[in-house]
Amino acid sequence: MIVVTGASKGLGRAICDRLHAKGLHVFGLSREIKDVPFPSMACDVSNYENIKMVVQRIKKDKHQVTGLVNAAGIASMNLAVTTPPAVTQKIVNTNLLGTIFCSQLIAPLMLRQKQGSIINFSTIAVALGLKGESVYVASKAGVEGFTRSFAREMADFNVTVNCIAPGPIDTNLLSGVTDQQILKIITQQIIPRQFTPDAVADLVEVLLDPRSSSLSGQVLNVGGA
Amino acid sequence: MTTQKETIRAEVFNQIHQLLDDKNITVNDEMQLIGGARVLDSMKLVELCLALEDKAADMGFEFDWTSDAAMSRSRSMFRTAGALVAEFMTQMESKK
Repeated sequence: MIVVTGASKGLGRAICDRLHAKGLHVFGLSREIKDVPFPSMACDVSNYENIKMVVQRIKKDKHQVTGLVNAAGIASMNLAVTTPPAVTQKIVNTNLLGTIFCSQLIAPLMLRQKQGSIINFSTIAVALGLKGESVYVASKAGVEGFTRSFAREMADFNVTVNCIAPGPIDTNLLSGVTDQQILKIITQQIIPRQFTPDAVADLVEVLLDPRSSSLSGQVLNVGGA
Repeated sequence: MTTQKETIRAEVFNQIHQLLDDKNITVNDEMQLIGGARVLDSMKLVELCLALEDKAADMGFEFDWTSDAAMSRSRSMFRTAGALVAEFMTQMESKK
C-alpha cells in the first residue's frame, strides 16, 4: 500500500490517479475526500490523532505499507509582514507538521519489513528564495531539513526519504499567482519551462521503485535550481 | 496481578536482552533505554518497540509507542526498563 496525503486535488490527486492506474494499491488521505476511484479516508494531516486513526485502520486491515507520499500542502502568496498569524500557523501546521506527523506515525509501518520509500514535498521557491512566499518557503525549508535528517534515521531500516521540490506546476495551489509571476520563476529554473503534474507523478514513480533504494536524503528540484 | 506483572516484566526484559550486544549484561528495572547510559542504539530501540507491539497483539491489545509519553524524555516510557514494563502494563490494563 502507498499512502498519499493531499489526495483530493492538485499534485496529490494526480499522483494517486497515476499510481492507481498503474495497478498499485493507493490509500488517499485528505481533509475532505469523496468520489475518488481509489480507497481513501478523511484526515487532517496537521492533526496527530487523525493520523493515528488512519494508522489504526491500516493495521486493522493488515495492509503492508511500502510508500508514503506527503503531498498535502497549502500556500499563501503574501509578504511575511502582511500574512496574518492564523494563516502563518495554518501553513506551518499543514506543510511542516503534517509532513512530520505523517512520517512519525506511518514510517513505523515500514520499519517492520525493512523496506519503503517516503516522499516529501518542498518547492523550488526554497532554492530560489522567492519574494512574497517567505512563510510558505520557511515551512518547506523545514520539510527539506526534516527530509535530510529523517533519511539518516531511516537508513538502517532500508527506508529512503526524499523530497521533490516542484516549480510552478499547474494546480490549484497557483490560483493566486499571476502568469507574469509564474514566468518569472520559470526563467530562473535550469530548464525554463512549466512542468505538469504528470512530470511530478513520473518522479514519484521513480522514487517509489525499489531500484531507487540507493537514493535518500535528496531534494529533487523539478526544472532544476 | 503480581504474578502477571512478573510475567510481563520477564517478557519485556527478555525482549531487551535479545537485543543486547553483550549477552552477559543482566536486564534490571533501572537499565536506561534512552539517554547517555542507554544500552540499546536507536535502531534496536525501534526493534524493541516492534517486538512489544507484536507481543501486545498476541495478548489482545495494541501497544502504542508513539504517544506523548514515549516521545518525552523526562517522563518517557523508555527512560528505564522498569518504566517500559510499567507502561506496557498500564496500556494492557486500560485497553483490554
